[in-house]
Amino acid sequence: MSPLEIGAVIGVVTIVVLSTGVPIAFGLGLVAVGFLIIFDGWGSLGIVADTFFAGIGEFALVSIPMFVLMGAAVASSPAGKDLYEALERWLYRVPGGLIISNIGACSIFAALSGSSPATCAAIGKMGIPEMRQRGYPDGLATGAIAAGGTLGILIPPSVTMIVYGISTETSIGRLFIAGLLPGLMLTVLFMTWSLYAAWRGGYRFSLTDAGYTLRQKLVVLPRVLPFLLIIAGVLYVLYGGIATPSEAAGVGALFCVLLVVVIYGVFLRSWSPLRIWEILGDSMRESVMILMIIGASALFSYTLSSLFVTQSIAEWIAGLEVNRWVLMGMINVFLLVCGFFLPPVAVILMTAPILLPIVTSAGFDPYWFAVVFTINMEIGLITPPVGLNLYVINGIAPDVSLPTILKGALPFMLAMALGIVLLCIFPEIATWLPDVVMGPGI
Amino acid sequence: MDFFVTTVRRLSQFCGIVAALTLAAAVLVVCQMVVLRYLLNESTVWQTEFTTYSIVGATLIGSPYVLLRRGHVNVDLLPLYLGHRARLALAFLASFLALAFCVALAYTGAELWLDAWRGGWTTDSIWRLPLWIAYAPMPLGIGLLCLQYLADILCLATGREMPFGLQPGDQP
Repeated sequence: MSPLEIGAVIGVVTIVVLSTGVPIAFGLGLVAVGFLIIFDGWGSLGIVADTFFAGIGEFALVSIPMFVLMGAAVASSPAGKDLYEALERWLYRVPGGLIISNIGACSIFAALSGSSPATCAAIGKMGIPEMRQRGYPDGLATGAIAAGGTLGILIPPSVTMIVYGISTETSIGRLFIAGLLPGLMLTVLFMTWSLYAAWRGGYRFSLTDAGYTLRQKLVVLPRVLPFLLIIAGVLYVLYGGIATPSEAAGVGALFCVLLVVVIYGVFLRSWSPLRIWEILGDSMRESVMILMIIGASALFSYTLSSLFVTQSIAEWIAGLEVNRWVLMGMINVFLLVCGFFLPPVAVILMTAPILLPIVTSAGFDPYWFAVVFTINMEIGLITPPVGLNLYVINGIAPDVSLPTILKGALPFMLAMALGIVLLCIFPEIATWLPDVVMGPGI
Repeated sequence: MDFFVTTVRRLSQFCGIVAALTLAAAVLVVCQMVVLRYLLNESTVWQTEFTTYSIVGATLIGSPYVLLRRGHVNVDLLPLYLGHRARLALAFLASFLALAFCVALAYTGAELWLDAWRGGWTTDSIWRLPLWIAYAPMPLGIGLLCLQYLADILCLATGREMPFGLQPGDQP
C-alpha cells in the first residue's frame, strides 16, 4: 500500500472507532498503536509510553491548566455573576442592552478563560434565563450565548492557540496577539446581528429594560475591576514578551483564585473559602481531558509520520497545483467537516502539522491561518453532532429544543463565515497587530 | 464484586484529590519561579521541570477520576440514536477498545519506568531529577484507569450503570 492509501484507511478506521462513543483520547491512541503494530510489528510498542509522555511533558502546555484555572476561579464562584451584573448595569441603556451586554460579557470572559464551553457556561447561566425572562426570543437568547461562547478560543488566552503553537512550532504569544482583533471583529458582527434580530423579532428595548441608579452602578465595580486588571496584566505581560505564557498564566491563575477568596470569602462572606476545592476540581477535570487528548494525538501524529502519511499528503496536495485560494477554500471545508465531529484540540493536533507546511508554501501567513483555523473550529462548536457549546446550552435551558438553538445560532455561524471572508480580503486584521507589537514576522 | 467496584471507585476519587492538589502545587511553584526570575533576578533550577512533570503527573493520576465522572469527551451521536440493547452492545465495544489502549499504555509505561529505575536515568538539567519519579504516574495512574474501566464494564454487565449514562428512553 502507498502511504496515501494507508492514510485513507487510517482515516476511515478512526471515524469508525470514534463513532462507537469511545473517549476521543483513547480512541485516537488505539488507532495509532494498532496501525504501528500492524505495519512495524510488536517491537514498535516500545515508543508508546515515551511518545505519550513527551506529548504532554512540555513546559508550554503548563499554561493550559493555568488558564483553565483562571477561568474556573471566576466561573465556579460568585465572581461570574458579578461580572455579568456589572456589564448589564452599565450597558442597559444601549439599545438592545441586555443582548449586547451578554455578547460583551462573553467576549470579556473569553479574555479570562481559554475555553469555549467554559465561556458559554459562565455567561449563559446568568444570561439565558435573564434574556428569556425579559421576552427575548428563545432562539436568539440561546443562539447568541452559544456563538458568543465560541469567542473563548479566539480571544486570548486560548487553549487551542497554545495547542496550535506547540504542534506547529509557532510563537504562542504572537498567536494570541493575532487572535485579538479578529475576536473583537466577531464580537461586533455578533452584536450587529443580535440588535437587528431583536428589533426584527418585535422586541422593543426601551419599554421593559429596568433602570439602574448611579449608586447601583458603582457598587458592583470594586468586585469586578480587579479581575479586569488581571486580564490587562496578563495580556500586557504576554504581549510585551516579558514572560512566557505559562508563567503569565500561573500568576494570573493565582491572583484570580486569591481575589475570589479575599472578595467573596473574607469581605462579603457570601462564599465559603473551602469551596476553592470546587474551582480546583473543575479545572483539574477539564485539563486532564484536554491533556489526555494531546498525549494521544502525539501518538497519532507519530504513527502518521512514521508511515509517511503526513509527508505524502503534503506532497500530493502540492502536486495538485491549484490556485492558492481554491486550496484555502478546500482546507476550510475540510476543517469545517472535521469540526463537526471532533473537538477543536483534536482537530488541531491531527491536522495542523500536516496543513501548515502546505499553507505556508502557498504563501499564507501561519498566524493568519491560525485565526482562520480557529474560526472554523468555533463554527464546529455550535454545530451538531459534536458541538460542545450546544450541550452546555442544553444543560442551562433544557426546555429549549435543539432545533430552536440551532436556528438561533445559524446567523451567527454565517457571521463567522463572513469573518473568514473578511480575513481573506483584509489579512491585516490578523497580521497587523502582531507586526506592530512584535515586529514583522517571517 | 461489590468490594472491587467500591474499592476502585474510592481509589479513583483519591487520585482525583491528589491530581487537584498537584495542580495547585504547580500553580504555586510557577508563581515562585516568576518572583525569583523577574523580581529578584535570580536563576531558577528545578521549577520548570517540577511544574512540567507535575502537570503530566496530575493528568495521568487524574485520568481514572475523570473517567469515573464521565469527563473524557466522546462522540455520542451513534449511541444517542440506538435502542437500549444496541446501545449496551456498543458501550461494551467502546469500553473494550478503550481498555485495550489503556492496557498498552500502562504496560509500556511500566516498562519505561523500570528502564529508568534500573538505568538510573535523570533529566538533562542541573537539577538531575531521577526520571523514574517523573515516569511513575504512568503505570500508577493508567493502571488504575484500566481497573476503573474493568469496574465500569462490570457495572454495565450487571445493569448497575446505563450505557453511556443514557436512560433507555433517552432519544433525541
